[in-house]
Amino acid sequence: MLKFNRKNNFLGVSHERQRYDLPLDKDGGAIFLKILIVLMTFLAILALSGSYVLSAMKDRWSSGLDNKASIEISAQNIEGGVLTSEQIQESTNNVFQFVKSHPAVENVVIMQDEDIAALIAPWIGDNIAFDQIPMPGIMTVNFKKNVEFDSATFEQNLKTISPQARLDTHESWLKDVLRFTGALKFAAILVTTLIGLITFISIAGAVKTRMEVYHEELELLHLMGAADNYIAEQLQRYIFIACLQAAVIGAVIGIVILCLIHITSGQMNMGLLPDFSLSGGQKISFLLLPLLIAFLGAITARHTVLRVLRQMP
Amino acid sequence: MIKFEHVGLRYGVGPEVLSDINFSLDPGSFHFLSGPSGAGKTSLLSLLYLGQRPTRGLMTMFDQDIGPMSREELKEIRQRIGVVFQDFRLLNHMSAFDNIALPLRISGTPEKEVKDNVMELMEWVGLGDHQHMLPHTMSGGQQQRIAVARAVITRPRLLLADEPTGNLDDEIGLRLMNLFDQLNHMGTTVLIASHNMPLMEKFKHHKRLILDKGEVKLLEQKRSVKEKIQDIF
Repeated sequence: MLKFNRKNNFLGVSHERQRYDLPLDKDGGAIFLKILIVLMTFLAILALSGSYVLSAMKDRWSSGLDNKASIEISAQNIEGGVLTSEQIQESTNNVFQFVKSHPAVENVVIMQDEDIAALIAPWIGDNIAFDQIPMPGIMTVNFKKNVEFDSATFEQNLKTISPQARLDTHESWLKDVLRFTGALKFAAILVTTLIGLITFISIAGAVKTRMEVYHEELELLHLMGAADNYIAEQLQRYIFIACLQAAVIGAVIGIVILCLIHITSGQMNMGLLPDFSLSGGQKISFLLLPLLIAFLGAITARHTVLRVLRQMP
Repeated sequence: MIKFEHVGLRYGVGPEVLSDINFSLDPGSFHFLSGPSGAGKTSLLSLLYLGQRPTRGLMTMFDQDIGPMSREELKEIRQRIGVVFQDFRLLNHMSAFDNIALPLRISGTPEKEVKDNVMELMEWVGLGDHQHMLPHTMSGGQQQRIAVARAVITRPRLLLADEPTGNLDDEIGLRLMNLFDQLNHMGTTVLIASHNMPLMEKFKHHKRLILDKGEVKLLEQKRSVKEKIQDIF
């Protein structure tokens, strides 16, 4: 029996620990605060997952293209004339030999005509006789990590070997995409922060309202010699439990919605977007979010209560 | 034990509701406080239970100047004072038992001790079988007895009561006054604000303070030789 009571005390559900000197648990006004926290937690989960997805996209794009470049041997010469397949093949081989022997290059692969045809098929269709069309030579190059090289000089050397050669390091568009993704991620973090801020302002407001509503009861406790901490602990315990209950509901709704998005995106087979799966740390952050909200809510409540109580003589 | 020297009180920027109050209460004394309506009895009591700080003058409680005291020190002083408010100020969401137990729980008394003391006092004030009842379901007299029990549960060093017998029949009123008397004999200083002349007559061996026109005057009640002899024996 004693063990049971101890356990109950630890869990904060025994008669004594549940007792509030203020009629907090009989107050219907808390329902609005709970609804707000459910909503805010749900939005925070979505905003947080948005920032995780954007991080994953940024990582995937930058890591996928880091130290990589492609070289195109155009089918057109400088004057606008079309080269023969043999001329393109020869230029491609010459460039290949140069690139392969370059000290900064890890490896180089020439793309086969069938692969190029598959690549451009969506634009020109697959019923065309590709052997009659001069196809450009394309090769993908992997550069060695931690070896510096000057892409401008490299491209200049390529053009000496073949004037039709063009180096594409993806830098120009990748920079813009990464900048855009970074901005989106910043916006997601800002939204999460704003949600948090609004939540805690609302908690502070709700606590202040409670204290105005129960001013007489608070004054009575104060006059009986109750320490500020004694009163603050009751309100912070109440807000902690209310926030935790509401935040768990909000988080569950948010996680269910994310699971639905995950299932839907899997069926859509969106190649450009990264796989919508979360790392262990990210999953833990979702599970810890309700606790964090409850903890910060309790701190906000305590701070508000103590500030109001200090105005009493 | 309690000394007021040129004490004044005003609320905000309004006029002084108490001006130049001078009086003292000795340890273990028993006083009635009376005076016309609006004389400031409730304001004076609120100064005594530290619900307000004086706007001027020197106020000494338990031989300590309360002027420079910190909030923590004031909290300790408040725990030595029991108050029966005129409107009872019971917490309606709590049972009669919990209302009476509140001052003990605030001071961190062990729950076993709380239970024993509260039950004993509830029996004494005739509410032994009302412990689970909520105050708003009880009669005015019962509520008043809970308020009195709550005020005396910690055996305060100073007991302040604002019209404590207002809603009680004569018998219960007399019983409560006897309780105050008992506490007084155990060393508690008692100050009761009252209009109840017959009651004050019954306890005329106690001193009377009259608050009128911002001044407190001490009125020694006349007692017969027989009463004085009864007091001694």
